[in-house]
Order: sequence, then C-alpha cells, then structure tokens
Amino acid sequence: MLSTQEVTNRWQIVYRRFLERSFNILIPLGAILAAFLISSTLIIARGANPLTAYAALFAGAFGSTNALANTITRMVPIIMTGLAVTYGYRSGFFNIGAEGQLFMGAMATTWMGITLVGWPAWLLIPASLLAGALAGSLWALIPGYLKARRGFNEVLTTLLLNYITIQLFEFLIRVDHVVGPGATFLSWIGLKDPSQPFPKSAYIAEAARMPSLTSVITWLGGTTEDPALQRFTLAAVIAVLAAVVMYILLFKTTTGYRARAVGVNPRAAQYMGINVMRTTITTALISGALAGMAGSLEIMGFQHRVIQNFLVGAGYDGIPVALIGQLNPLGVLLSALFFGALRAGANRMQIVSGAPVSIIYVIQSLAILFAIAGTVIDLRPRRLKQAEIEEAKRVEAELAAESPSAPAADMLGEEVRHV
Amino acid sequence: MESLLRLEKICKSFPGVVANDHVDLEILPGEIHALLGENGAGKTTLMNCVYGVYRPDSGTIYWKGQPVEIHQARDAIALGIGMVHQHFMLVPPLTVAENIILGLPSPREPLLDLKSASQQIRELAERYGLPIEPDVPVWQLPVGVQQRVEILKALYRQAELLILDEPTAVLTPGEVEELFKVLRAFKEKGLSIIFISHKLEEVMSISDRITVMRAGKVVDTLPASRTNPHELARMMVGREVFLQIEKPPCTPGEVVLELENVRARSDRDLPALKGVSFQVRAGEILGIAGVDGNGQTELAEVIAGLRRVTDGRIRVLGRDITHCTPKEIIDMGVAFVPPDRQHMGLLMDFTVSENLIGKSFDRPPFSKYGFLQKQAIENFCAGAIYRCDIRTPHAHVPVKLLSGGNQQKVVLARELSLQPRLLIAAQPTRGLDVGATEYIHRQMVEARSAGTAILLISTELDEVLSLSDRIAVMYEGEIMGIVPAEEADLQQIGLWMAGSRAHQAAETPQTV
Repeated sequence: MLSTQEVTNRWQIVYRRFLERSFNILIPLGAILAAFLISSTLIIARGANPLTAYAALFAGAFGSTNALANTITRMVPIIMTGLAVTYGYRSGFFNIGAEGQLFMGAMATTWMGITLVGWPAWLLIPASLLAGALAGSLWALIPGYLKARRGFNEVLTTLLLNYITIQLFEFLIRVDHVVGPGATFLSWIGLKDPSQPFPKSAYIAEAARMPSLTSVITWLGGTTEDPALQRFTLAAVIAVLAAVVMYILLFKTTTGYRARAVGVNPRAAQYMGINVMRTTITTALISGALAGMAGSLEIMGFQHRVIQNFLVGAGYDGIPVALIGQLNPLGVLLSALFFGALRAGANRMQIVSGAPVSIIYVIQSLAILFAIAGTVIDLRPRRLKQAEIEEAKRVEAELAAESPSAPAADMLGEEVRHV
Repeated sequence: MESLLRLEKICKSFPGVVANDHVDLEILPGEIHALLGENGAGKTTLMNCVYGVYRPDSGTIYWKGQPVEIHQARDAIALGIGMVHQHFMLVPPLTVAENIILGLPSPREPLLDLKSASQQIRELAERYGLPIEPDVPVWQLPVGVQQRVEILKALYRQAELLILDEPTAVLTPGEVEELFKVLRAFKEKGLSIIFISHKLEEVMSISDRITVMRAGKVVDTLPASRTNPHELARMMVGREVFLQIEKPPCTPGEVVLELENVRARSDRDLPALKGVSFQVRAGEILGIAGVDGNGQTELAEVIAGLRRVTDGRIRVLGRDITHCTPKEIIDMGVAFVPPDRQHMGLLMDFTVSENLIGKSFDRPPFSKYGFLQKQAIENFCAGAIYRCDIRTPHAHVPVKLLSGGNQQKVVLARELSLQPRLLIAAQPTRGLDVGATEYIHRQMVEARSAGTAILLISTELDEVLSLSDRIAVMYEGEIMGIVPAEEADLQQIGLWMAGSRAHQAAETPQTV
C-alpha cells in the first residue's frame, strides 16, 4: 500500500510532467493564434473583414474534398523537409540543403519512372522511393563528410550545394532522355521528354505512381465521380508514417540518443564514448534521405513528372516548419498542416474577402517569430526556477574564484560600449 | 615615500565564498610587487576590484593618497591603471594598432586615424623596448607578442600601474626572460607593476616586494631580499587544520593504471605533459596536487582517450590503451569524473535519467536491438536517485535545473554504476558545498575499499592530503615527486607546487 503522501507525490509528478509537456504544444498554438490576431489588423486596414477572410481561408483549406486535397498536396513535401531539418538540427547538423537534396531525390525518382517502364508496381514504387532517398542522402553526405572530417561549416556547404543542384537540374531537363540503341551516357541520364520541345520530362510509368483513393475504390469494385480523390494518395500516408518513425528514432533509439547528445554538446558526447564523426555522418545521411524522399513523393504522388520550377522553396520551407514544430517530428506534422492550409486557402480568401494572398506570408512569418520568442517564456514551477538562479550565482562565484575570464569578458563589453 | 596605490580593508564575497577578507595592500611608485598565492586565494578578485570589474563590498582604495571610487574599467584606465588579463582581450582579425586604439576616441572623429596611431605605437614600443609591427593582424602573432600588445595597450592609455595576471602562464621560458627584461625597464622608467603569480622562483627573481595571500587574506608582505622560497611556500600552503576523512588502511592490489613517459600537447599546441610516469594500484588513491593549469586536465584527458598522446605508453590492467577511442577505454572499465561538469560531464539539456545512462545507454538492459528500454532505464534511475540521494523532483527534469552538488552526484552515480576498475576524479568537488563534498569523498573512499584504483586530480590541496594514499605533485607538465601520504611534508609539497625541486636530497621522487 502506498501512503497518502506518496500518492500525492506521485500525482504531483504526473501533473508536473503534463504541464511541462503540454507547454511544448502550447507555444506553437499560441504563436499561430497570435499571428492570426495581429494579421487581422492588416486585413482591417485593407477594408476587409478578418472574420470573413479567415472563414474563407479555412473553407479553402478544408471546406471540400478538393480543398482538402490541395492542403494535403502542399503538406507532404514540407512534412518531409521539416523532418529533414528537425533531425539535422537536433544533432547539430543545420541542413540548409534540403532544397537541393529534394531536387536530387525528384530527379532520381523521375529517372526510375521514365526508364524502368516495364517494372511491376510492387517493385517500381519502393525502388523509386528508395532511389530518391539514396540520391538525397548521398548529396548530403558531401557536407556531412566535410563537417565531420574537416570541420567545414555545414550551413555554407549545404547552401552552396543547392545552387549546384538547381543548375544540374536545369541542365538535365534539357537533355533528351534516350535509352537503348544510340544512347550515350549523357542521354541516358538526361530527363527531357524527346517528343516535346519544352524542358520537362515525360510522365513516369503508371506503375511508379502512388496509388490514390480512387484506385482503391475502383479496386474494391466501387465507382467515384470526384476527381479530387485521385489526389489523396499513399504519399500522404507515407509522410505521416515518416513523422512517427522519426519520432521513435529520435527519442526511443540509441541512434537518436547519440544524435541528440552530439547536437546538445559534442564535447560531452565524445566524453561519453559517442563517436561524434560517425554520428554527424549518419545524421547527414538520414536528413538527406528525408529531403530526397520529399522530392520522390511529390513526383510519385502528385506531379508525375519534373518540369522547371516544379517545387521551388519546399526545401527552405522545411526550416520554419521545423521551428514552429518545436523541432519535434510530431510537431512538424502540425506545423506542416498549418503551412499547407494557409497556402491551400489563400486564393479563396482573396476572392471572397478581398484580403490579398500575401497576408498568409505575414501570418506565417509572425507565427515563426512568436514560436521562437515563446521558447524563452518559462512557466516551470517556481522552485525549479529558483534552483536555476542559485546555480547561476554559484557558478559565477566559482568563476570569480578560479578564472578571470568571465569578468574579463564583462570588461571587454564595458570598453566596447564606449567606442 | 608616498604610495601610488593603497588598499584598505577590502572585502568582497560571492554567495558562499569570501574571496577577499579585509585585505590591505600598498604599492610604491617604481616597484615590482608580486601577489603570491594558491588558486582561489583571492588574488585575481582583488585586482578585479582595483580595475573596476567588481565593486568591493567594503573598504577603500587610495590612488596617490586620495580615496577614489572605481565603478568600471574606464575609471581605472582614466586614473592610470592598466591590467593584462590571463586570457587576452584582443580582437584577433584586427591589427595591432586597431586593437590598441579600440575604445579610445580618435583625434579625427568620426574618422579613424590609424596612421598617426601606428606612428605613436612605434615610438612607444621603441621607448620601452617592446619591438612590434603595428599593421599585422593579431591572430598572426605568437602568444608572447600578443601579450606585448596587451601591455602596449595599457601604456598607450598612459598607465602608471600595470597589473599582470599570471603573465608567464602562457609563455615559453625564452619569452619569460624577454618579459622580465621589459618589466625591469618599466621599473627604471618609474612605472609600478603588480605581478600575480604562484611560481616561487619567478617571484623571487623579479619582485622587489612580495605579498602572500591565502584564503582571501593577506598573510604578509615582505621584501624579496629578506625571504626565501621555503618561507614563502610555508606561508602559501601553511594550514592549521585540514579535514580528516575516516578511511580503512590501504591494501594496494595489482597495478591498474600505468603511465610511461607520456607526452601530450595542450589546446594551444604547447607541450602540456612532458614525460609523465606513474602507477596506480587497485584499492589505492593516488592524489595529484598542483596549481591549476600545470597539465592536470591534459593528464586526465589523455587517460580517458580524449587527447592524443604524442609519445609514451598508457596501460590499463596491462593492456596498452595509448591510442584507443574513448569508447574502448570506457569499456575497459575506466570511469572519469571530468573537471568541468557543465561542459563535459553532463549534457545539461538532457534529463537526469538520460544523463544517468549516458555511458551505458547502448548496453543491455538499457538497449535492445537499438531501442531504448524504458522500463529498465526507469528502474535503474529510480534506484540511482534514491541511493545517491540526488535531490530532483523526478528523473525527467533537465539536469541543468539541479544544484551543482546534485549535478555532480549524477555524474558520480553514472561513473560508479559502470563498476569501474579505475576512476579518474578530476576536481570532483569544485564549487560544491560542504555536504556534497563530504558525500563525494565518502563515495570515493567506498569505491577504494571495493578495490577500485582511483586517480584523484585536484587543485584543492586539503582534498588531496586528506583522501590520498600517495601524493604526487604536478608542475609544468611534470611530476615533481611522489610521496606516501603519511610521509608527506607540507613544506616539500609547497615547494614542488611552486616548481622548486631544491630541498632535502634524501627525498628523491619515488617511482612506484
């Protein structure tokens, strides 16, 4: 039997943990709410009614199967890039290169779909997805290796690789894709549809496309008239699954433990026996694979071919998605929903209420700002805060007694202020 | 002669620490005055009070006979006080001249006038015999020359009193000679110098007068000509009482750790270990005493596999681990309580339980097929928190929210849970209160009774004296000597800590 005291203690612990955890959800929700509230002043300034505008925005994002399909289509790539950024960030690899890795993934998947035309779906779908993931992770291996072995700043290397990727992409969609007799290596890797004068690829084989709700209904013997159902595809299911898998990987496995330890403090991680170099490279591979799959899912699920500018910006959008999602894979799902819905509903908002589409970028940016600011708010029990303050004092005293560097830093501040 | 600077009853305390306790000090014009004392004796705090980095709690500062209030570094500089910190305050990409005029108004505001500044710096450098090239970026200069820039910075601001905090700590012997020549030249020109140090021989050779500090108080001020290293050493470390720890008699077993002529370099790429050899046996505590920064950190890191060994051999239980990875060394049964729990010992943003499994998270029962086993981890952590009396609301609190003592208990609980054959404890009680210190000490004595070999590295001489079975002293990367604790002679240890071997020839350093 537990004593009353023990039961109370136990409940206090559960309650406290609940508070601490729910706080992680409250920050992004509060940030999004605040963003909507403040943006409404802009809408009013334009002479429109914010309530009408937001209702239209909501209807445009969730009001019909077509609206929902739009939202989901926009969500899938940014879920994947958001996960790529989250996993990288958590382990100290700030991957700005999701954009480039996404394009590599899209190219590899498209190549599979226009080359291995005879393959059955059960083989071609996983193979195409895998090719995309592989292309993305090999592309991320370059900055990963350079960071781990040579100490290169990954922000720079991943960013610069994006430009290289875009140029490579622009080049390959202008090279005729020819296989069989007469093919050179260049024409073999080229992506352009030779029968068309435009810089775009042929459609990928039916067997390489993600099955949709329509095909499921047909397979079950039913019929449907709604064309929007064709856009509810397996790609969305895979993206949601990926978030769950990444959550487990990050928080429930030794691989995730290593990654987070290196992200928090590489020196302490090394001291604990973790191989920091290997962890950095593993992280780059995983992050790159996720970004590559973003490209694959877009091609296999929705566009079915690559064209110029087919998905520009989704890689960069992964960064705010990850930040609003509090760098938590499940949070990424929610913030990707927010981003996807905003974009899907924007046009309807403009048509119905007259509030311009660009309002959604204001909302989006404000939400990012508030989400970052929110992490500074401290709602923890007062006793814990007190402990932290006392510890800070103790550390200060310790430093004062043993090393002049801390006060010296103060002093430099003093001098610089008087410049 | 009227004094240049006089301190009267300066007190300064921090929560839990009295750093300066009614300190009186007088500096005469044109003298080199040494401040001598162990780590934490309050030398640097006192000088930071003079330089305006801290405000003393009570007491008065007189400058040329007048009481003055120094609120910030700028006030001190305006009076004519210059300070060269142990860690230089230079902006590496800027040139020497740019660094020197940083913070001063330009004669041609708002434009800079680097040309005339360079000219002035050249003249100044010439006058004081400090050759320097004003247009070279500071990062390209060797440490000794960077220090010269710091000194010139103070001279450029027309300092009459120069405070040098451990100026020789970063210098090579040749550079030390150079510096001393310069300091003597300053003295000729009428400048006063306060020279903070813990190295007896240097202090004896450069100073006119010496003030010894211990535990925040001034022990005495003496002319260098009327004292000797023995007396200074006794004044530096002399103690009436030190804490006693009950421990059963030592029964050393097999050799667990063996270092053979180990050499390594510091982060600054200077030689940090210069041929260190010793052994630690099962069931004994070898204490390494010494002033901070004499290679102790590097020694611990080298054994833990965190720093490259440039020469020599390290063996654990007879196996060569000289070039093993940290992981392999942990798996050999080597536990390590690092000197810096905030930046190395703990992942501050991780929870208590995540930190407790920090070195065993990938072993059964905590991991199965790469998945963390929640239940096993919970059980283990609940046990460790209870056994080690870690004060935390629950196991899932970020460890940074615990007090320093409880954080250190987390480190020790994790290290001892590995059931190590060797425990390296570096500064295990730094910054802890009496209760936590006592707890940590008791745990170490218990581990010793269980047959663990313990290497204790501490700058707290009391701690080394009361815990160790044998005592070694490190100075500038070398072991000055090793003595059994019962034969330890305080004066001898004090001399070794200050870098002097000259004592009774009978007590040659023993090797085992």
